[in-house]
Amino acid sequence: VEIGLKLAHAVICDTDVTIIGAEAPVVKPFAEEHHPPPPSALEGLRVVDLSTGISGAYCTKLLSDFGADVIKIERPGLGDPIRAYPPANDPTQPLETGALHLYLNTNKRSVTLNLDTLTGRDLVERLLVGADALVDDREVGKLAAQGLSPDSLLQRFPRLVVTQISPFGQTGPYANIPACNLTAFAAGGQMSLTGDPDREPLKNGGYQALYQAGLNAFAATLAGLWSAAETGEGDSIDLSGMECMASTLELMLNTSCYLHTAHFGGRRGNVLSAAIGVYPCADGYLGIHAMPRNWPALTALMDAEWMREDPRFHDAASRLGHDDELRAEMYAWTSGQSKKEAYARAGEIQAPVAYVHDMADLFSSPQLASRSYLSPVDHPLAGELTYPGPPFRLSATPGRPGRAALLGEHNEEILQGVLGLTRADLDVLTGEGVTS
Amino acid sequence: MTRLPLDGIRIADLSAVWAGPYATRLLADLGAEVIKVESPNNPDLLRALSLLPPGTENTWNKSAYFNHNNRNKLGVSLDLANPRGRELFLKLVEKCDAVIENYRAEVLDKLDLGYGVLKAAKPDIILVSMPGHGKDGPERDYVAYGTNVEQLAGLASLTGYRGGPPQKTGISYGDPVAGAAAAGALLLALLARRRTGRGQYVEVAQREALTGLIGEAVVGYSMTKEIPPRIGNRHPFWAPHGCFPSAGEDQWITIACRDDAEFVALCGVMEMPALATDARFAIAPARHAHQDDLEAIIGGWTASLDRFEVFDRLSAVGVPAMPVLTYVDLYENPHLRARGFFEQVTHREAGTWDMERQLYQFNRQSEHIRRSAPCFGEHNDYVFGELLGLSKDEVAALEKEGITATTPNMASHQ
Repeated sequence: VEIGLKLAHAVICDTDVTIIGAEAPVVKPFAEEHHPPPPSALEGLRVVDLSTGISGAYCTKLLSDFGADVIKIERPGLGDPIRAYPPANDPTQPLETGALHLYLNTNKRSVTLNLDTLTGRDLVERLLVGADALVDDREVGKLAAQGLSPDSLLQRFPRLVVTQISPFGQTGPYANIPACNLTAFAAGGQMSLTGDPDREPLKNGGYQALYQAGLNAFAATLAGLWSAAETGEGDSIDLSGMECMASTLELMLNTSCYLHTAHFGGRRGNVLSAAIGVYPCADGYLGIHAMPRNWPALTALMDAEWMREDPRFHDAASRLGHDDELRAEMYAWTSGQSKKEAYARAGEIQAPVAYVHDMADLFSSPQLASRSYLSPVDHPLAGELTYPGPPFRLSATPGRPGRAALLGEHNEEILQGVLGLTRADLDVLTGEGVTS
Repeated sequence: MTRLPLDGIRIADLSAVWAGPYATRLLADLGAEVIKVESPNNPDLLRALSLLPPGTENTWNKSAYFNHNNRNKLGVSLDLANPRGRELFLKLVEKCDAVIENYRAEVLDKLDLGYGVLKAAKPDIILVSMPGHGKDGPERDYVAYGTNVEQLAGLASLTGYRGGPPQKTGISYGDPVAGAAAAGALLLALLARRRTGRGQYVEVAQREALTGLIGEAVVGYSMTKEIPPRIGNRHPFWAPHGCFPSAGEDQWITIACRDDAEFVALCGVMEMPALATDARFAIAPARHAHQDDLEAIIGGWTASLDRFEVFDRLSAVGVPAMPVLTYVDLYENPHLRARGFFEQVTHREAGTWDMERQLYQFNRQSEHIRRSAPCFGEHNDYVFGELLGLSKDEVAALEKEGITATTPNMASHQ
């Protein structure tokens, strides 16, 4: 402890600390050691990531995949909790080979630091000397309790962008209530609209409440980085997942705000109206989304040109008035279709019909293959697996492929290389449980 | 006025409906000057979705769906298919940092406004396109509207009750996801331009952007080669993790326990302490294996209780719980109200009402909604006159020739 405190003292009082940070050798991330480095959008920017959830991990994955040097701070021993999510490719290495971790922690550098120790926190502060952004998705109040409140950080690091991601925001009556993806999703309103009317509301697949917060936090952080570059001043950002979801209820919330009506109803299952829905077909499910202008193409696809003339179906209003009959026509048609053939024929005549792609369909999609969207990434413990590419393509500064870091893989690189500690310091820190 | 993060950035916005306008709403809220360009003959579809009674005057300026997603923007009308209209657009591009569009893949090239053309007008321009499938590949010209995107992305296959069909999300979920992704992608390109001095072409294929939000399922499939089953509201290893009925018609509450301690706390609130030591439920793997039994017990307990009472009691002991909030609940929600989430906005034709505020709350660089959404063609004078330097007569001639308009032709949305 005493050595830890001395170190802390040195960090806080040593006037050279800024110079250490400024002169820190830039260690190339893994991917750049193995590929000729294409220019990256965020080259030269450093992000310290304290997150322990999917929101923060997705935010910083996007930053790191586009070139930022993301330093991920993890608990000694267990690491980021998302490491433990199944499935794992090697059950004997559950913390290194889980699919969620492998996907979300690409291109980051992992350093283990115990933030329950004063020394651990001081080392984080030293990392912030050379950092452009701090991202945290832990429970509200944790950052401040560790002496790292956004206000105090901005006093010491005026150019820093501090992004705090949470299910409900940093303030307000829900700020401190416990939450997970399911309860956060229920708060955002999307769940009330999803599922069958005669059953319970349904969350959508995976961890969408948390991912949405992470995606928005990424955009918000970039806006902060832009502004900091322009003005030399950083800022802190309070990103509430609930607010992001509540703003995206199609016309429900906005029109209700304006007209004070509540007539849109709730869950409408898989078929909103006959022309917009998911229908079973012979070998899967077809999705139809026909607007009035698509009616000719849809009826052509169905070999049902007669419906254009039929008074029940000839315009949008009459179709809505005979929705049940039109649904019956749709079910009858889709039941005889094979998904890939119907989709291909729809494509040829630009009819608005897609099919529900399951994971096998993604892996065999001619479109995704043509664009090389899925690609192999090797990992020393998990082996070669298939990963989605970046969610958007920047022609001049593309996203970079890369793998997830092993727990504490970059301890020496960062603690010695960046912070200038000695091997002996590291041994002491390890002995005290500050790192591992 | 408060400085905003994107002060000084100007974006020409050719996008319509939801995904693109949502992206530029996020950017406009952050301070960018977004100039929305609509065709006199094909105005933004959202202007037609007002749900106002037929015969309402100028309904196209009163659609809440449009006005929420286009606030803080300027609006002009311009026929890009007209040579003079196209020329004026390129003049506008010269004064912009970025152009964003969500046409179908082939449309921008057909207008002869592809990236090369824009770059010739403004060498460091950033172009963000948001096609459904991407601008290349065998499916590039396939139609992919709102709900199709989650079907193509793989998300729909993961959503659904146990043993049931894939289920659609209640909204066109691909739209706001692509919108937020496009806002981020545009900012990436701006930051890259700052360092390299060069603009670039940016593509957000909507289905790919959404697959990014289920990446673990993709990586997981490459491990197991097994199609993941639909698991309803359940979790891979936590239990309970579900949605339960509560008192009242169609009222629901979600409850989850992330560890054994939270389950003990739940049992305490339910006044069923014996459950916590029941062999079926004492530890997470056992609870996960006996979820049918457990959900029946919890559902029996919640069924007669008010959902907010359950929420308060469980929150107080650290158990995640939340009523399934509807859009009506959200409008009145005390938490959102306490955070100032709704702000009153006055629109010169649509009146005064509450609108959700800027989503990305910066401590120093946030501002109330600065301006309501543009009426159709509202800023023709400012943009063509003040910004591009046309005389009053020239601006008037544009409207006379039908190259601009202040009354849209809504026929295409009938």
